[in-house]
Amino acid sequence: MNGMPDLYAEDRKRFVLIVEDEYVNRELLNTYLENDYELLFAETGTEALEIIRSRSETLSLVLLDLILPDINGLEILRRIKQDEDLARIPIIVLTSDIESEVESLNAGASDFISKPYPRHEVIMARVRRSIELSENRDLIRWTERDHLTGLFNREYFYRFAEQYDLFHAKEPTDAIVVDISHFHMINERFGKAYGDEMLRKIGAEILRMSRLYGGIACRREADTFQVYCPHRTDHDVLVRQITDAVNKELHGHVRLRAGIYADVDKSLEMERRFDHAKDAADAIRNSFSTLVAVYDDSLHEKEVFAERLLDDFHDALERKQFTVFFQPKFDIRPDKPVLCGAEALVRWKHPELGMVSPGVFIPLFEGNGLIRDLDNYVWREAAAQIRAWKDTLGRSVPVSVNVSRVDMMDPDLADTLRGIVIENGIDFGDLHLEITESAYTQDAKQIVEVVSSLREMGFRIEMDDFGSGYSSLNMLSTLPIDALKLDMLFIRTAFSEKGNTRMIEITLDISHSLSVPMIAEGVETEDQMLALRKLGCDIVQGYYFAKPMPAEEFSAFLTR
Amino acid sequence: MITLEQLRAWGADTDEALPRCLNNEAFYLRLVGKAVAEPSFDRLREAVEAGDLDKAFEQAHALKGVTGNLALTPIDRPVREMTELLRSRTDMDYRPLLSEIMDRRAELMALCG
Repeated sequence: MNGMPDLYAEDRKRFVLIVEDEYVNRELLNTYLENDYELLFAETGTEALEIIRSRSETLSLVLLDLILPDINGLEILRRIKQDEDLARIPIIVLTSDIESEVESLNAGASDFISKPYPRHEVIMARVRRSIELSENRDLIRWTERDHLTGLFNREYFYRFAEQYDLFHAKEPTDAIVVDISHFHMINERFGKAYGDEMLRKIGAEILRMSRLYGGIACRREADTFQVYCPHRTDHDVLVRQITDAVNKELHGHVRLRAGIYADVDKSLEMERRFDHAKDAADAIRNSFSTLVAVYDDSLHEKEVFAERLLDDFHDALERKQFTVFFQPKFDIRPDKPVLCGAEALVRWKHPELGMVSPGVFIPLFEGNGLIRDLDNYVWREAAAQIRAWKDTLGRSVPVSVNVSRVDMMDPDLADTLRGIVIENGIDFGDLHLEITESAYTQDAKQIVEVVSSLREMGFRIEMDDFGSGYSSLNMLSTLPIDALKLDMLFIRTAFSEKGNTRMIEITLDISHSLSVPMIAEGVETEDQMLALRKLGCDIVQGYYFAKPMPAEEFSAFLTR
Repeated sequence: MITLEQLRAWGADTDEALPRCLNNEAFYLRLVGKAVAEPSFDRLREAVEAGDLDKAFEQAHALKGVTGNLALTPIDRPVREMTELLRSRTDMDYRPLLSEIMDRRAELMALCG
């Protein structure tokens, strides 16, 4: 059903087919109904089926005589009711036998009219009522179905799934969410009409499969479908079959992925079961090789944990649960390394969860923009600490802070940072801004503009994680930066694989040709430090010298 | 052309049939003319003579719908009787019933002219 058929228009006569081989009976019905309906006639079963098929969309009712010269009327009734496209058409059976009446009703007839005919008003009323009932039913179906694919919509699906449970209480059942990977790209590249066609086709395939497996299906939203069916272990085959069928027909390259909550816990609310399946599907969103992911509790725990962290974030910020730690940086060019600054690193001491790893909460906050608030907090804390060290120790300790990609999109970034510097009475040069290399490569033009203006104000810019992105040499030469910070991974691989330091040498060559110092982080041993010094690295940070530490500890470190 | 009075005198229940024809006398009489010429009569005779009870049942059943609707009682009564006997495929000689049906039909045909 793609649109409401216009046969519902009030001012239009409905089409009614009269299947009757006896002239007299046909004429009588014609006389009763011709004023109110557009009448069609068939004298044989074959003729009737032809008309019904060709007018399946517009036919409002069939009046069907049971005794026909070729095909038995009951047989015609069964064929219509078993045909998905025709089953909606109401049928009134014309018969002179009580037995046939019961049989017809059981076979799906809406009503019957006995012979000899009752008063014509009775016939007219029955015809009208059957059409009304069927149109009302169509309207209900209209609201319970997704208009594009004809599948149930989500709300009805959950209700049907609950019904399904009643009849399959003890059978293991799977909740499945099928997603189209990067569907928005399909819409963008090929247009909405093609995208819709693809959704329809996928919907049809999913419906076919779900029926084959004895389950039910719906369109959850946009490009997401749901299936509830008896438990099985070959869902990957199913997903591949649907994908192949769709791609073959539409000459496409669509990729489907499925999240499965297998053998669902039936004490769980129906929607939760599909949320689990959705979580599993989302977990492989960016994987090109994995078609199917099965939900497990650890995934759920991870989700719940992430949810908890997001919920607690603002509270944590207000209650100062976030602490800024400082990790010293050393200039290793002199024989005796000299402390030359620090990197500010945030730690979260959650009152109930304890220390939460930044490896967990930073990607989480980066994902939804909360990182801006956190970065801002760290900048202020770091600036205040720089001020404090100036006041108590009489020395300037430059601190590098992280500036995330989302911060770079903030038009107020420069004003905010300037405000922090001025409020705390520190120098612009005291705050080093670490911007990750991948930010430059993703949005080069905009980033370069922002960074240039920050640099003109006096901030020092460090390119973080250098070597992890794909900067072109050409671009590097024009970048406004004051230091390169070597990706920690280089140090790890270089010193774990028999001292293969070739990549470090290359990056050092780059830093030298740009005339900016190279900072290496993650340095853990004296050997590593000495090797880096030999290669020409300028500044080093890592456990070899010191772990990140709270400000008070760092103060003691400074006065040592 | 047959009249309503003739039809009534012959035995049709015109009071029952006329309202079914929206009290349109001409329409009723026209349908009677059509009914009496129904090929089902001949098909019924052929089936009975051939001893094909299935076919005979179908034809009797079809006729019953027409004779009932037009309340052609003298034909309708034996047609009904025959239909019920044929429904259970009663093993009997159907020729007397058939003769009655065909005789009444011949009378009506003569009246219709």
